[in-house]
Parts: sequence; structure tokens; C-alpha cells
Amino acid sequence: MSRTVLICDDALFMRTMVGDILQQAGFEVVGEAETGVQAVEKYRLLRPDLVTMDIVMPDMGGIDAVREITKSDPSARILMCSAMGQQALVVEAIQAGAKDFVVKPFQPSRVLEAVNRVLAA
Amino acid sequence: MDQTKYAELFRTESREHLAELDDALLALEARDASRNTAAIDAAHISTLFRNTHSMKGMAGAMGYRVVERIAHALESLLDDLRGGQAIDATVLTLLFDGSDALRGAIDDASNGRATHESDSLRNVLQRLAEAQSRDVDLDGGAPLSAAIGVGAMLLTDDPTVAAAEESSTLEIDVRLTNDCPLKGVRALLILGRINAVATVRALSPLQHTWQDESFDGRFSVILTTTATADEVEATVRAAGDVLRVTSRVPEPATSRGAGEALRTVRIDLRRLDTLLELVGELVITRDRLLRVADAAVEQGANRAIARAAHDTARLISTLQDEVLQARMVPIGQVFDRFPRLVRDIARDLHKDVEFVTEGREIELDRSLLDAIGEPIMHLLRNALDHGLEDAATRRSANKSPSGQLILRAARDRGAVVIQVEDDGRGIDRSTILTRAQSQGILSADVTRLDDDQLLHVLAHPGFSTARAVTSISGRGVGVDVVSTRVRALGGSLTLETLEGLGTAFTLRLPVTLAITRALLVQVGDGIYAIPAAQIVEALPFEPDTKVATPEHGIVQRPARETVRVREETLPVLRLRDRFDCGPSENESFVTVVEISGRRTAVVVDALIGQQDIVVKRFDAPREGAPWFSGATVLGDGTPSLIVDLSNLC
Repeated sequence: MSRTVLICDDALFMRTMVGDILQQAGFEVVGEAETGVQAVEKYRLLRPDLVTMDIVMPDMGGIDAVREITKSDPSARILMCSAMGQQALVVEAIQAGAKDFVVKPFQPSRVLEAVNRVLAA
Repeated sequence: MDQTKYAELFRTESREHLAELDDALLALEARDASRNTAAIDAAHISTLFRNTHSMKGMAGAMGYRVVERIAHALESLLDDLRGGQAIDATVLTLLFDGSDALRGAIDDASNGRATHESDSLRNVLQRLAEAQSRDVDLDGGAPLSAAIGVGAMLLTDDPTVAAAEESSTLEIDVRLTNDCPLKGVRALLILGRINAVATVRALSPLQHTWQDESFDGRFSVILTTTATADEVEATVRAAGDVLRVTSRVPEPATSRGAGEALRTVRIDLRRLDTLLELVGELVITRDRLLRVADAAVEQGANRAIARAAHDTARLISTLQDEVLQARMVPIGQVFDRFPRLVRDIARDLHKDVEFVTEGREIELDRSLLDAIGEPIMHLLRNALDHGLEDAATRRSANKSPSGQLILRAARDRGAVVIQVEDDGRGIDRSTILTRAQSQGILSADVTRLDDDQLLHVLAHPGFSTARAVTSISGRGVGVDVVSTRVRALGGSLTLETLEGLGTAFTLRLPVTLAITRALLVQVGDGIYAIPAAQIVEALPFEPDTKVATPEHGIVQRPARETVRVREETLPVLRLRDRFDCGPSENESFVTVVEISGRRTAVVVDALIGQQDIVVKRFDAPREGAPWFSGATVLGDGTPSLIVDLSNLC
């Protein structure tokens, strides 16, 4: 059975890209979210094995979404997707409960390494 | 970040690190190459690494990029050396050059100058880079452990954690891959994973610096755990982007551990200065309070007032002592920089020198500490350049081939005595005499110089005996600079020299500059303060009628009035003449002062009494009277000038 993933990013471009990388590695993209609120709702519904989370999203940012998700499910496996220069925000996300991070621009190998680390932990 | 606030801290602290760097380098150089000294070498390299690492971190925090770059290059080489790369003469020279470059850049940075990226700096950086790239594949060996302890933070102080029998303490050194993005966050993730299997007890560098740009992906963790070292290492590796991880059992904490660190705080020097100034004002007020209270009681006021005043006065005196004590620092802090300097100069001059420092624990006021470095340096340079002979000359004089140079500090009553002593050739009096006469400093009829006269000639601005001007000394700045500086600090300089046997210069300095005991005297309408340290005695003045002829043979000195005091004939100095008050029958007291071993009878109108005065120093105006070194405020609020008799006698 393939692992399920929820991709949260407000940019279609990024969602597509991450989705392609993960699908090629055998993941099943069970859902996508464009906002933090959507991410929280869809996580509750879908209970995916993995969440990729953008930091900056409308109505509820990625960090708050991490906080909400881990509140209801402390074992949630969330991978943060950050841009360079967001170090402080990534730190905040990790403290909020995210398990690892990748930095844009994405290199498929790095994304998969991080995903495997998150799932192995 | 408020740069100025940290710049001073950076300056003082990096000075300490540089001194430790020098010590370790000199020790490495001095080791016996024929013996297996691997363990000792490793300890020195650790010291070098730790200090370099600290300076890099500090420079990074200050934004001193050049300092940071040099420290980083040096550190990388040291890291490789810890991995077992041999320390040969080339490497040692490179380490010396690297530390010099670092010192220069730190000097520049802390003085607000941009470091000029000179060819020599580029050359050093280049060589450092090359030296370490030789062993770039040498992986997995070198621990980073030495960095811990510097700025390490104890995260938990729970003794039960360490006491738990099944848990052991480990020190883990982690190095992240070079291409690891957001190294600080990765380190944080690793720490999180470590926390799951162990209790973290200390981190280096401090965690909050991990988000800084300067964080290079190396950090150390001290932890207690029930897991094995292999398990902890595997946990770290699993967090990703780890180039290497090593673990070992840390050495037991030394006595200078965290416990002691917690009992001391660093204080901005300016704060201490302000504190001292305030205490100074308090001391003045204390004297006034005592006078007013005693007078009030005499006029019938309640005795309790006087008692309260005396109690207050006693407390103020105690406070004054404590504040002065708080400003005291061991003179070793200045001495620290000299072993390196002596080594470098001796090497340039091809001389073999054994340098010894004594009395490093002697304490003196912080403000003096900064001021004495330069005079001592001049004296050391003189001794190396002119005093000590080369090995061949020494052998033919039946001396040991390596010269002895001693820098010594000692306390003598209220003063600190600093001595620079060499066992060199001594000062050739006849050469100095001839040269002084040809330069017109001495009259032709002088036939022999005693030590005082010799010093007077040497301290004459512009006098130099060096045949050629070398980069070491002999540019005419030397003894005169020392003499001027020491006098300005309220101290004195003396000289002893024996031909063929050696020379000793002795500096005598007050322990503190700020508060001093003084005799208040009246001259004309003014009240002046004469530092008590210079005064031998004070007594009624009975003028002699005799006028003496020149005695010391110093040409500039005109025939002088003298007076006999206790069977001794002393030159007379009438302050009324100097202060343009005109002669008066009121000149009724004489204070005998001693400057550089020479006594002078200073004539004043009246003696007012002894008192602690708070010295506000000023430089005498160029065109004006050079005989005032500062001012003070007296108990009743009137200002008074402090007479600098060393410029008068």
C-alpha cells in the first residue's frame, strides 16, 4: 500500500512540483490545500501519512496550521517547505511540531531524503 | 545590535584569547621534537582551537568579517591538526603568521578601522587554505570538543541526572555537510533527536547563535544518556545532513568550571569608572561632612550628629576600598602579551633569550594596566636590542649563551614596582658620556656619569646611541617615552647598570590613579595639592644665603639656591616664582620632595594638611604651565590644582 500525502501550498506551481516528485517516488497524493485553514480541515479528514507544508499561506499560515494539526495529532508527520531566508520561521515551525524541512528551490533527491527521515522517525 | 556596547567587550576578551593563543604556540615551539609529545601537543592544539573558535564566534557576532575569515581559516587548519596532521616547522610558522594576522585584524576592527587586505594577509589566508586542503579527505577523526566550555551553557543542573547509575556522560561533536541548507535549523533538529534519547547538559556554541550567519554547522553537545555512544551517534546521523559525528567521554570539569563562572560578572569599564568618580565625590563630601559635624558639636549641637557623621565617614571609606578593589586586575594580563613579543624580537635579532616573568598576580588599577604596556614594551625592546649580546659575544665573556631577561612586578607599600632586568653588557657610560657631550646635553667638564645622570641623558628627548636606526629601537624614542609616561602616571623611573653584568630599569607606580593622598599647601592666594607619595617631610623654612654652582653638570640647569636640611644640601624651588606670585615674607614652610631619587626643597607659604583627593587628570596645555598634572575639588567645594613636581624639580 502506498503512503498517502497531503500537499499544502498556495501556489499551484509548487503543489504540482512537489506532487510530481512524491508520486514518482510512489506516494499517493490524497489531497491538496491552498490555505492553512484548509490544511487543518483536510488533515482531520484524510489522516495522511505525510504533510508537506508551505510557510506562507493565506488566512492561516503554515506555522499556525502545524500548531493546530499537532494539537489534535502529536504524531503528525509534517515536512516544512521554506524559501531561503526563512530560517527563523522554520525554527518556529519545528518548535510548533514540524518534523523536518526542505528549502526551495526543491531538489527531488533532497525532498525524498527529508520525507524518508520524517517517515522513519 | 548596539556595536559600541560590545566592541569594548570584544576587545578585552579577544585580548585574553590572543594571549592564550601565544602561550600555546610558544609552548608548541619549545617542545622537544625528539620526544613523543603527542598528548601535550594535542592539549596545546585544543587550546589553540578553542580560543580561535571563540574569537571567530565573537567576530561573527560583531560583524568583523575579516577577523572572522582569518579565524575560520586558522580554525580549519587546527581542526585538521587535531585529526593527527603532523606539526612541523612550516605549520608552526603558519600558525604564528595566522595568529599575527588575526591580532592585526582584531586591532583594526576594535579600533573601528577597516583591515587593509594586504598582500601579506592574502598570502597568509592562501597558505592556511592550502595547508588544510592537503588533508581535506581526512574525515571522521578530529573531534570538535575543545570548543565546548567556551560560552557553553549548562542547560540542566539537576544532580540526579548525572548521579543516575546507568547513565553515562558523553561529549558529541557534530559537523554538518557543507551544502546543508539552514544549518542552524538542522542543528536544532539534531538536538531534538538527541533530546529523545539523552539529557542535554551543555551546548557549544550557544544555541541562540545557531541562527546566525556565522554558524558553520559545527557544534558540540555534552549529554547524559542511558544509550550507548553508537546509538547516540546513529540518532544524530539519522537527522540528516551530518558529515560526521564523533563521541567521547569528556574530561572532568576543572575547577574553573561553570560554578566559578556564575560567581563573576563582566562589567563595562565605563560603569566602574563612573562608580569610582561617584565614590570620589563621596570622599570629598565625607571630609566636608566631618568638618561641619564637628563644628556643629563644638557650637553645642547634639553629639549624635557627630557620631552619625563619623559612622557615615567610615562606611564611605570602606566603600572606597571596595570600589578600588573591584577595579584591580592582575598585572599578568599585560605581561601575557610579552613572551610572544620577546620571542619575535629575539628571533629577528638572532639572539637567544630566556624570558621570565615574575609577580603576575600583583594587582593594580585597570586604568593603569592599559597605560603601562607601552613603557614596558619599550624597556624590553631596549634590553633585547642594546642590552643582551648575541651568543658568540656572551660565550667569549664567559656567560651562558642565552641571555636572561626578567620582567618582574612586586608590591612595595602603596606602590607597584615593575622591573625589567637583563644580564647583558650593561650600559657603556663612557660612550654615553661622549655622545651626550657631542650632542650638547652634557658640559665638557663632566668625567663620569652615575646611574641618575645616565638615566637623565638617556631620557633626554632625541638622544640615541644606536649606531643604525633599527626597526626594534634606537629611533630616539625609548627611555624618554618611558620616562615621560611614567611621570604622567605619578610614578618614577630609576636605572641601575653594571658594565658587563646587566641593566635593570625600575618603574614605581601608584596602585591607583584616581584617589591619592596629597598635602595641601598654600602659595599666594591659591591652594595646591602635592601628591603625598613624592613628599619626604615638611618643615619650617629658614633660607640659606649661599648660592651653589652647577653640581650635576647638566648644562641647562642654572646656578641654584640651596638649603641645608638635616645635614643635606638641597636645591630650592620656590613655588611663588613658578606661579608668578612674586616674592613674599610669607614663604615660611618647605616640603622636601623626592623625585627619581633626587630631593628638592619646595618652598610654600603655608601647610594646610593632608587629605585624600580625587584626581581629575588633564594634559598640561602645550603653551601653558607644564607643572600641573590635574585638578581636584576640596572638601569645601573649591577647586585646587595638583602640582606635578617631576616637571619642576
